[in-house]
Amino acid sequence: MKTTLPILFGFLVGLVMFVQYFFSHPSLQRTYNLVLDWKQIVFGMMLILGTIGLVRHHGVRIQRRERAWGYSAVTLSGLVAVILAGVGGGVQGGPYAWSFENVQSPMQSTIFALLAFYVASAAYRAFRARTVHATLLLCAGIIVMLGRVSIGEMLGFSVGDARYSLAGLSGWILDVPNLAAKRGILIGVGLGVSATALKILLGIERSYLGKGD
Amino acid sequence: MPRPWWEHALRLDRRLLFVAVALAVAIPVLFPLGLPVVPGKESRDFFAALEQLQPGDVILFSFDYEADSRAEMDPMTRVVWRYCLGRGVRIIALTNYAGGPGVAEPYIELATKQLGQVYGEDVVFLGYNPDYSGTILRLGESFRATFPADQYGRSTADFPLLQRANRYADTKLIVTIAASSLAEYWTIWAHGKYDAKVIAGATAIQAVHLYPYYQTGQVSGFLGGLKGAAELERLAELPGDATRGMDSQTTGHAVIVLFILLGNVAYFAQRRRKS
Amino acid sequence: MSTDLGVWVAAFFTLAIFSSLYRDNPVYRFAESLLVGVSAGYYLVQYAYSALYKKLWIPVVQDQDWGLLFGGLLGLLVLGRLHRRTEWLARFAIAFYVAAWAGYLIPSAMKAQVLEQIAGTWLSPAGSVPLGAAVNEVLLLVGVISILVYFYFSREHVGALGVASRLGITFLMLGFGASFGYTIMGRITLLIGRFQFLFDRWLGIGPSSGGV
Repeated sequence: MKTTLPILFGFLVGLVMFVQYFFSHPSLQRTYNLVLDWKQIVFGMMLILGTIGLVRHHGVRIQRRERAWGYSAVTLSGLVAVILAGVGGGVQGGPYAWSFENVQSPMQSTIFALLAFYVASAAYRAFRARTVHATLLLCAGIIVMLGRVSIGEMLGFSVGDARYSLAGLSGWILDVPNLAAKRGILIGVGLGVSATALKILLGIERSYLGKGD
Repeated sequence: MPRPWWEHALRLDRRLLFVAVALAVAIPVLFPLGLPVVPGKESRDFFAALEQLQPGDVILFSFDYEADSRAEMDPMTRVVWRYCLGRGVRIIALTNYAGGPGVAEPYIELATKQLGQVYGEDVVFLGYNPDYSGTILRLGESFRATFPADQYGRSTADFPLLQRANRYADTKLIVTIAASSLAEYWTIWAHGKYDAKVIAGATAIQAVHLYPYYQTGQVSGFLGGLKGAAELERLAELPGDATRGMDSQTTGHAVIVLFILLGNVAYFAQRRRKS
Repeated sequence: MSTDLGVWVAAFFTLAIFSSLYRDNPVYRFAESLLVGVSAGYYLVQYAYSALYKKLWIPVVQDQDWGLLFGGLLGLLVLGRLHRRTEWLARFAIAFYVAAWAGYLIPSAMKAQVLEQIAGTWLSPAGSVPLGAAVNEVLLLVGVISILVYFYFSREHVGALGVASRLGITFLMLGFGASFGYTIMGRITLLIGRFQFLFDRWLGIGPSSGGV
């Protein structure tokens, strides 16, 4: 019952959403709109639940005085400070917006900027033309890397009115083999996702509900 | 016995590589080289969609990125907003990222404080809604029902702009500047179900996935990464950080390619020695 | 050099994160921990403001849109996950969400990711496109078919199937190479953004002042 009822409920809702794509009867439309609105509220609560999980995790670390628990205290202090700023000062302007602009945003940007160094280091150490396929990958990568910057336009030659450059070759790689690859994967993903979604609707796929009865 | 050069190369301290990359990127930021930027067809089609807009037309603009992608996305957003508002195009903005409101705020201020636009008539910021798929689909039925209040807590029923334009069919264009697969999702749902015209600005990593949608016309044009942003700046004649950044992009790529080639030459030298 | 406290704070945290490139250190760990907390707090406020206040409270209280109350109830059931005894209640909300998504995903994905993509792969009528474009169309068709053959694992890849499969891998490698090139581009761009901030807005030695 604890599994069957939710699956049955889900099936009915999913069926409405599926049928609505093809027919637009007014009562079906109203139900469709309501379901979409409820979905947004439910998803918001799921995100809030995720944050509660984070608080629990760090709270336990502090309580048990685990190794480097001080950093968990820093995390929770930051969390509480921003919540108080948002609730007390509002989400527009004030300390809430200030902390986003001057604390969160620079750090988030910089964490991702570190990847430039790590990807360069990884490429230097691991990117080897060991096999024919690896060589193809390497050549395509280098052509696109150089073709997409100003070097790509400068490296080339003209034959009459036509210009043949690294940028042009890079463009061809993107427009033909890359497009074929991405399209092949996309078709496979589309079929796979549709099959999985159908299994979910019919209650065959239940792992998303978690373990237990 | 002295070590062969390839052993030194293969054991290079990665911090030296970090320094090389940092210098390659930093120096052109301080001393721009002014290298040329030539727009590609994807960017030209993106800009063509903006050029077709007339004064009074309404577009839906989605800030589908947050702080970590600002370097790639902000230059695109800046040009779209300045170009559109400068031509009298009205913008209904939203975001599918929780961090999106912080990113969007400077542009709302640009519109209302610098460019003299009237909030509620020329520009509205609907804010953030969780569940991007539900939001994109719901917007096709009603903007006001999807967002009963704007980001500032005011009822959306009160805004003249949202009384004029309340669904995709009332807008001329959807512009999504997206750091993730959201550009694809706008295409799948807004264009797929409601036939809305979609153009997308995407990070370099995501742009490569948009080619299939562009080739079929599901996406009418797109920008790829900083190069795409620089191309748009060139087309709109609004030079900025993206054009300047392409110099660093060029030197950064050149250094990385050189290191990759060095690594491979050293590897093959080692292999030959061992065999 | 900037006189804005916010810019100095931003610069400090930027350099704190960059310090990890030399080696792991307490300043980096402090900044990283603070980032997790601050961003979680920011997102929590946005989730509550958007999903609960703007999407639920305002329409119910101001517009008497009682239909949304059921969504609020489903949202409350999600919190059942917090305790083992009430976990099963959350299944209603999760099943609702996942099944609703599955319901509209099937026709959307089939249309946009399968049928339109297949249509886009088909060849133009003979003579309607220049020779170069026609060759590219044939290559595209061959590429897509060979990649789909590669992903067909129900039969062993031998004979004609093996040849097609290996051709598919070739196209895939070229596509992944393009992805790699773009990935490098994206990462370098993020680094450019940080240097532009440090030189333009913090130190004031760059050629631009930044901003929109």
